[in-house]
Amino acid sequence: MSLIGALNIGKSALAISQAQIQTTSNNIANAGNADYNRQVASSGTTPDQQLRAGIFIGTGVDLTGIQRQIDVALEGRLRASISDSAAADTTQQWLSRVEAVFNELGDQDLSTQFSTFFNSWSDLANKPQDIGLRQVVLQNGDSIARSFQSVRGQLSSIQGDVGDQLKGLAARADGLAQQIANENTQIVTAEGGSGSDNGLRDQRDANIKQLSQLMDVRTIRQPSGVVNVYVGSEPLVINGDSRGVALKQDTSNGVTTNGLVTTSVVFKSNNGSINATGGQIGALVAAQQQINGAVDHVDTLAKSLMFELNKIHASGQGLDGFTSISAANPVNDATVSLNDPKAGLKFLPNNGSFVVHVKQKGSGLETSTLVQVDLDGRGGNDTTLNSLTASLSAITGVQASVTGGRLSITAASPDVQISFSQDSSGTLAALGVNNFFTGRDARDIAVSQVLMKQPTLLAAAKNGAPGDNQTALAIAGLESKAVASLQGVSLKDSYQSLVNGIATNTAAAKTSDEGAKTVKDTLDAHRQALSGVSLDEEAISLMKQQRAFQGAAKLIVAVDEMMKTLMAMI
Amino acid sequence: MAILPVPLARVSNQLQSNLALSSLATTQRQLLEVQNEISTGKRVNTPSDDPGTAAIIQQLQKTLEQRQSFATNLQSANSQLSEVDSTTGDLSALLQQAQDIASQNVGSDVTPDQRTAAAAVVKTLYDQVLSIGNKQFNGVYLFGGDRSTEPPFKDNNGTIQFVGSSNVLSNNFDEHAVLPFQVAGDQLFGALTMQVTGATNLAPALTAVTRLVELGGASGDGVRPGAIRMGNGATTVDVDLSTADSVQDVVNTINAAGLAGVTASLGSDGIQLSGGGNISVNEIGSGTTAGDLGILIPTGGGAGVTVTGQNLGAKVTPLTKLADLRGGAGLDLSGLTITNGGAAVNISLAGAQSVQDVLNAVNGSKAGVLARINAGGTGIDIVNPTQGTAMTISENGGATAAELGVRSFTPNTKLSDLNGGKGVRTATGPDLQVTRKNGTTFSVDLDGLQTVQDVINAINAADGGGGVAAAFTTSGNGISLTDGTGGAGTLAVSPMNASLGPADLGLLAAPAVGNTLTGGDVNPVNSNGIFASLGKLQAALQANNQTAITEAAQSLKVDHDRVVVMRGQTGARVKELESRQTRLDDENVATKSLLSNLQDTDFTTAVTRFQTLQNALQANYQMTAKVLHMSLLDFLG
Repeated sequence: MSLIGALNIGKSALAISQAQIQTTSNNIANAGNADYNRQVASSGTTPDQQLRAGIFIGTGVDLTGIQRQIDVALEGRLRASISDSAAADTTQQWLSRVEAVFNELGDQDLSTQFSTFFNSWSDLANKPQDIGLRQVVLQNGDSIARSFQSVRGQLSSIQGDVGDQLKGLAARADGLAQQIANENTQIVTAEGGSGSDNGLRDQRDANIKQLSQLMDVRTIRQPSGVVNVYVGSEPLVINGDSRGVALKQDTSNGVTTNGLVTTSVVFKSNNGSINATGGQIGALVAAQQQINGAVDHVDTLAKSLMFELNKIHASGQGLDGFTSISAANPVNDATVSLNDPKAGLKFLPNNGSFVVHVKQKGSGLETSTLVQVDLDGRGGNDTTLNSLTASLSAITGVQASVTGGRLSITAASPDVQISFSQDSSGTLAALGVNNFFTGRDARDIAVSQVLMKQPTLLAAAKNGAPGDNQTALAIAGLESKAVASLQGVSLKDSYQSLVNGIATNTAAAKTSDEGAKTVKDTLDAHRQALSGVSLDEEAISLMKQQRAFQGAAKLIVAVDEMMKTLMAMI
Repeated sequence: MAILPVPLARVSNQLQSNLALSSLATTQRQLLEVQNEISTGKRVNTPSDDPGTAAIIQQLQKTLEQRQSFATNLQSANSQLSEVDSTTGDLSALLQQAQDIASQNVGSDVTPDQRTAAAAVVKTLYDQVLSIGNKQFNGVYLFGGDRSTEPPFKDNNGTIQFVGSSNVLSNNFDEHAVLPFQVAGDQLFGALTMQVTGATNLAPALTAVTRLVELGGASGDGVRPGAIRMGNGATTVDVDLSTADSVQDVVNTINAAGLAGVTASLGSDGIQLSGGGNISVNEIGSGTTAGDLGILIPTGGGAGVTVTGQNLGAKVTPLTKLADLRGGAGLDLSGLTITNGGAAVNISLAGAQSVQDVLNAVNGSKAGVLARINAGGTGIDIVNPTQGTAMTISENGGATAAELGVRSFTPNTKLSDLNGGKGVRTATGPDLQVTRKNGTTFSVDLDGLQTVQDVINAINAADGGGGVAAAFTTSGNGISLTDGTGGAGTLAVSPMNASLGPADLGLLAAPAVGNTLTGGDVNPVNSNGIFASLGKLQAALQANNQTAITEAAQSLKVDHDRVVVMRGQTGARVKELESRQTRLDDENVATKSLLSNLQDTDFTTAVTRFQTLQNALQANYQMTAKVLHMSLLDFLG
């Protein structure tokens, strides 16, 4: 109970007001900072002084702390929703690009080209001897082959872009993890086990939030002020250490079958895989698989189109027979059976037979010879390229040889022409003899150059008559026919399921994008309600604090005057 | 629009601006969507806009695209068949004209000169018919079948040979209808009507290379390879035959299945299963393979009982080896002697290996005939494709023709079939008298006899051991009489009771040479048809032969009737194609309207929505401007 005591109270009030005004100023200054959490300076009365037994008197006010207004649990949910939303957004973006490659529902899409191509075979059946219609078939075949190549090329360039983006994001995630680790150290040092270094903590929270946009991370707070970051059950940041984020190419088996490179994210420290399912990185890793799936599907479709069509075509005859023909597909080992993996044929023949016709040009008479292709795996007598060559050479008028692994068949004299029919084994198509398409898959599918140069060799006939159209008819019906190489699904349906699969996934991504965004916005609104700065509120606080300051100042003046009065008494 | 729950606690400035931003972005995005919908006119622009609808749209688009092909095919077929229709109309008119000429030139009031002049007119008709037969439409020979790259009717010095094909082309006119769009020239012109149908089933024996596709199958439905379940009484094993190509593959696969007490082998016409087990064979599921292979035996016949598979009905193909024909008995390679208008052509089959070699030998010969495997794959038919000539097929000193069943005149030939169906005309009482070389005679009555063999028997019976033996010739075709009496006279046959029988039997064709009298071939295979009839009419007019003119007129009528019928059929098919076209158009309209319903923008809805969104956006702008502008700071002095 002294004037000095009152003066001290005034001093404490002035100090507290200044601190509060500084906090308010800080709030106002950060009103536009999205990562900022509103701070509140809280004050408490200082312990009372006991005047005498039973009488306590106040001694002023003291600053008890400056707290960030934050709900840790809400932040965790918000981060999860940020991961989800970023993942859905990324998935949606990339799948839309994939969808655009197919350009379905348009007039120039692949399915229209399928129709145009098969329709031209049907039209050829109207007039099989017409060279013009043959050219149309070849041109349409060429354009469908090019479309396959283009779709395949675009998909693989999208895959490349995904890889590039992934590379950038992984580097960013790595940087953020490192920053979080550093901030952990700084916070522990700065706080020394008590208090809250709000600026640093806000910064760290902002970094974790950014990281959660990249990956679905989980945090565990330690009493020391440290925040440990986990991806799945694996720690990414522990105290002041980050395990780092890096990219690894998925080339575990050395070569990828479709030639595309996919990557996954790993810990830099031990190359252990990071099981990121959310965030942009998680979405991109998943998108890679989806694009890979689409590429594989396109390849399967192209292969099946090639093989099934070639099988029919190889058993058909053109307006002319062959005087010499060279197989398009080489065999790696001419001494193993044709369906042995060592033979290296992309399309596998099966047990069966085909007929070789040798036609005398002058009389038009032909002799036919059955060539058996024994691929039953029994008796050790399975057909090899060499044995096939031998049985072809045994036919009068036919000379067969193997050059560079490729079967080559020539007519023994210029007066005879060779043609083929009734191939139940698929051998001719597998070797690429009398084929329509050449190539392995969608990468290099093309119309046989032999046919392009000599359209009369295009096979429309099945019974050898020049005006016959049965092969053309069979090929025209191929699109809707269930084929074994697509597990009993037709080319048409398989293509549609590819497009529909992508469409459904894209639509699902769009929907979940909107959903995730709403969740994120809602949680963000909750966060803003608690942690956001309201300028009106701050203005009121400011006024209040200003008045408090003025009051304290007045108090000091009054005490001063009282002191003066006392002094004057001396 | 995303709806944000408004928190009840505090409203921060950041929240206000976030909310404004978010609702502006959402509204603008929706506006863009509607704008896109309106500007493209399509509600579903990419499949992901509405995957379910997109799938249907794709199907419908595919259907429309396929129908485009059907429309093209219908148009092409329609124009071709319409051309055939009008051409057969022309043909019909020409035939009518020929018939008129024939009827005008029968009667006593027509002079030979007039008939000669008429013959010249018929010649021009003949030429016009030929040019109709070889008519091209759009680069295609209308009546050439699947050999439409060359003229189907070839003029061989006055006789017309059909070198086209009787296979007509078909195409798809809807998903399920594969219909022919050509008319078979051989049928219209009656070009391949006459043939010697192989009378023998050549039934090739099964060999290791016999392919399953060449088999008729035990039940006649072919062999559909699949899995079968085989048992030996103790255990069963499933044998997958789906990769089997030949019967040998079937045998090998069964033997490789390793079922104790069951061994498969090839019989001459089926598969045999033998061994110590109680062999059973069952189908799996709805399979038919065991039945097709003729070895279905559900419970087995007992231990050690051999299962002899049913006849698999191997078909004749060009690849069939001659040695395997007739159940493995092979074929005599002496060859055939064929006449077709000209001198006899001897076709030797020496060195022939396969059925194709036989076909090549016949088709490549100068005889101008067409040998082909019959539709059932049971034998070989020889067709006379040349109109106006008669074909005979006889032995070339061996038994080839008989073994192939293609001898045109055999002891079994019915008398009623002889002489182009005119038969053998008999008289009351004995019809012929045979004078032996020793001067004695005997007579034969032909009444009531059915076949040539009956005649031979009757002659031999009438001879009664008198020294003359009748038989069917081994070389060439005809009845031959051999005199063993050793007399000095001449073996001769003469008609009795003015009977035409001996002449109809060809017994008067040539005088006896030494001890043998060889009768003529009185069963030549004529090719009828329009050219033959017109040729006949022209010749008859030229020769001033009224009976022949009448005959020609009759066969012209047959031809004309056939043309009229086929024209009717063609007309009906054109009609059908037209109605298909109409139906296709209707279906297209329906499909397009469905497609439009699914895919196209409903403008009323879209524009209304556009308007609403526009208002919303405007409201958003105003709100944002106002709300974000308000601040307590403005009011603080």
